[in-house]
Amino acid sequence: MALYEGIALIQEKQAVVLDLGTDYTKFGFTGEAAPRCIIRSEYWCPSTRKYKRVYDYTTPEELYDNLVHMLHLLYFRHVLVNPKERKVVIVESLLTPTLFRETLAKVLFIHYEVSGVMWVDSGRASALTLGAPVVLVVSLGARDAEITAVVHGCPVIQAIQSQPLGARAIHDELARILDEDNGTELHLSEDVLEDIKVRACFVPSREKAVEWLERGVASEVREVRGAGGAREGGGARVPVSRRARALAAEPLFARDNELASLPDIVLQCILQCPIDARRALAENVLVVGGGAALPGLKARLAHELRHLVTLPPYRERLGQLQFKFHSAPAHDNSVAWLGGALCGAACGAGGGAGAAGGGAWAGEAARGLARDAYARAPRLRDWPSLLHNTPPHHPHWALQ
Amino acid sequence: MAYLTQPDYVKYVCSCGQLKPITNLYFCRHCLQIRCAFCICHEVDSHYCANCLENMPSSEARLKKNRCSSCFDCPSCFHTLSTRATLAQPRQSTEQGSGDTKVENKQPKKMYYLSCFNCRWTSRDVGIPDQPVASGGWPERANPYATRVNQLLDYYKAIAQQEKQEKLDRERKKFAIRGKYITLTDKTGLTGAMARNIAGLPSSESSSSAIASFTPSQASEEVEELPEEFYTKELNLNQITSMPQRLASPEWQPTHVSRLHPIAKLLSVKRSQRCRVCDHNLTKPEYNPGSIKFKIELLAFYHVPEVKIISYEPIKPGCTSALLLKLTNPTGHEMQIRLMQPEDIPEPEERVDEPKSIEKSLEKSLNLEKDTSWYETVKRKPILLTECRITIPDVTLTLAQRDDAAEYDDDATHDANDIILWRKSNKLALRLQVVTSGEAQAGAAAGAVLALQYRYRNAVPPAAQPPRDHTLHAALRLHLGPVCG
Repeated sequence: MALYEGIALIQEKQAVVLDLGTDYTKFGFTGEAAPRCIIRSEYWCPSTRKYKRVYDYTTPEELYDNLVHMLHLLYFRHVLVNPKERKVVIVESLLTPTLFRETLAKVLFIHYEVSGVMWVDSGRASALTLGAPVVLVVSLGARDAEITAVVHGCPVIQAIQSQPLGARAIHDELARILDEDNGTELHLSEDVLEDIKVRACFVPSREKAVEWLERGVASEVREVRGAGGAREGGGARVPVSRRARALAAEPLFARDNELASLPDIVLQCILQCPIDARRALAENVLVVGGGAALPGLKARLAHELRHLVTLPPYRERLGQLQFKFHSAPAHDNSVAWLGGALCGAACGAGGGAGAAGGGAWAGEAARGLARDAYARAPRLRDWPSLLHNTPPHHPHWALQ
Repeated sequence: MAYLTQPDYVKYVCSCGQLKPITNLYFCRHCLQIRCAFCICHEVDSHYCANCLENMPSSEARLKKNRCSSCFDCPSCFHTLSTRATLAQPRQSTEQGSGDTKVENKQPKKMYYLSCFNCRWTSRDVGIPDQPVASGGWPERANPYATRVNQLLDYYKAIAQQEKQEKLDRERKKFAIRGKYITLTDKTGLTGAMARNIAGLPSSESSSSAIASFTPSQASEEVEELPEEFYTKELNLNQITSMPQRLASPEWQPTHVSRLHPIAKLLSVKRSQRCRVCDHNLTKPEYNPGSIKFKIELLAFYHVPEVKIISYEPIKPGCTSALLLKLTNPTGHEMQIRLMQPEDIPEPEERVDEPKSIEKSLEKSLNLEKDTSWYETVKRKPILLTECRITIPDVTLTLAQRDDAAEYDDDATHDANDIILWRKSNKLALRLQVVTSGEAQAGAAAGAVLALQYRYRNAVPPAAQPPRDHTLHAALRLHLGPVCG
């Protein structure tokens, strides 16, 4: 087996898979079960003597520089391979800004001279890790919560939902509660808040949350002191109250007239999908993303969905939906990465049909871009572009 | 040392337009251009472990996932773990009482465990049994999802294969000329699948067992509820891992301290640098991991005259201040330097003296496309507009070659001059005037730009030709503190 692998490796260099998230970057090889490294999306900037985040940019040039430095760090400090003449699979959201996509392509093709790049959208990549035909992917990222319905290898574009209900929303609420409980402005850094969230916070079940929001958190829940090494001005450790522990994630489930809470947008995504797919989507929910690792969050989402579907306006239109949940064969924060790794291993990043099967769109969009093709026409396929989403039999093409 | 610890007061303009201190720049002897880390090509040269300084061939490094087999990091604080030895009495001594074994049992066995000297974490904390050998042999953990991922991989590979096959078949069908005559199978209604069935072959539809045997993930109604302990139990923060501890091992991401395992140390690489324009090596490290020397080392610090600020008078708007600079010639040849304004640097002309063999021009035409596109993206316009302007004296300064023995001569020669302050072997100090415009804002950072024109003797390539002198230019930007009010 080892010999066989050796031959395969000589034939084609193992491609790398890059999932450049807002907070954390996942980077590794195709065909492997987990990324080689999960690091913060930031690099040490020697001139300012600070860590600089990749997503902090104001000009395209600054973004270009950020990406060059970040990829240098990934290639030469963590994965230790030559970027040159090696293919790359990029896992990205369908809502990634065009500027970011094109700059990343420029950095990879021109600065690092990679031989091919394949773009895989995170919704479909997450669905790939299950092997199920119809999946509703609920992705809780650092900034946004994104709901994508993947039906037979095709993301339902018009039903994509996105709301700023990611980890940042929880951090903000946590900071607010901590400030309120301590009576001062603590100005905790993002790192400290994350540490408090990861080590102390949890999401209670729906009935408990409803009760606690009205009457205060029950006294069995213990307070904890000094999570995240957070200290007040005087040096005393910051106590994390039971309210902060239990209710920090409530903004995700807080409903208002805009119907923009997490369970609401899940149901709206189902509503906007074709009627034949709705039942299947509700029975194949997959919750992914680093935010989903918060203890109790998946269970709470299940409670909320089952409750909400009995209320108007969903009761009439969605009827009796059964909600069933999948668990992916990876940790929550690297599910989309794993999908990219599978896709890259199955079809080779330089071309070939999308292994997701199903619609022609899927096969087309998953097709990689080779370096020479990029040199001829530096244009990326993108779903909002009419050039790429007009079907081949459309009369528009005949006019040309 | 000043370059390491202090801010960069003098920055050179790289050929790509970036501003960097001279210690961060390279000098390509073949293009005679200054290069920086941003505009050169980095390559992985060799893998080694930074702890045990052991080289690892790249194929082996790939098999071991770029991890050293004998060194470990602490999963708790990421410090390097040390192997500690203890004497352990074999346990079976009480059970077996015969004479021979007793003699053996008298000798305690040496057992080893891993311990962190920084945070006192040991491999015993998490129940890893002690090892009888000092290096290696530590239990390896498999990824809990590995089998499922392999199933998925096989499934998708089979699908990709099948799609490719179908595509081929379709193309073949497209080109197959429909014959006039009906084939035998059509006539008899014996389709291919039936023929396969009769022959006892598997039918072509279920071509792969991987596809047939694959089971998609099953969704379940039950979601793992939050354990009761969150509601009632005391939370011990020391028992829950932090985010960096989890992400240090992406395959397991333990949430509880008792699940932490030693992390095999990540290898480091030695990198070699290559000029993108001419594909020559700029640096190449020695293979031995213990050595910090280079086989090829074309650093700007050894080829480009170095400028340092000795002192300057405070910059005031509308005033003239004195500026003392030190120039050093790092090369082994005498060097003539003229100071210029950066805008007077002539545009680099096409090098006409290039040897014009057919292969060279062919190679060039092949690379042409790549070169231009690459330069357009990387090229930056350096910001060289400043409020301060250095009055350039029209003199040619001659700097002696570097002479390591001259370091021991104490007396600096004072050739009295209103520009040259003193001169000592390959160094000289200059006194210049900086004119600041009246519009400079008090408190803003003051900067001045300067260009050097220097004669550079290219001693090495090509070997057949005698060393040639070149006139080269370097622009640099001096940071002169804040503008005083």
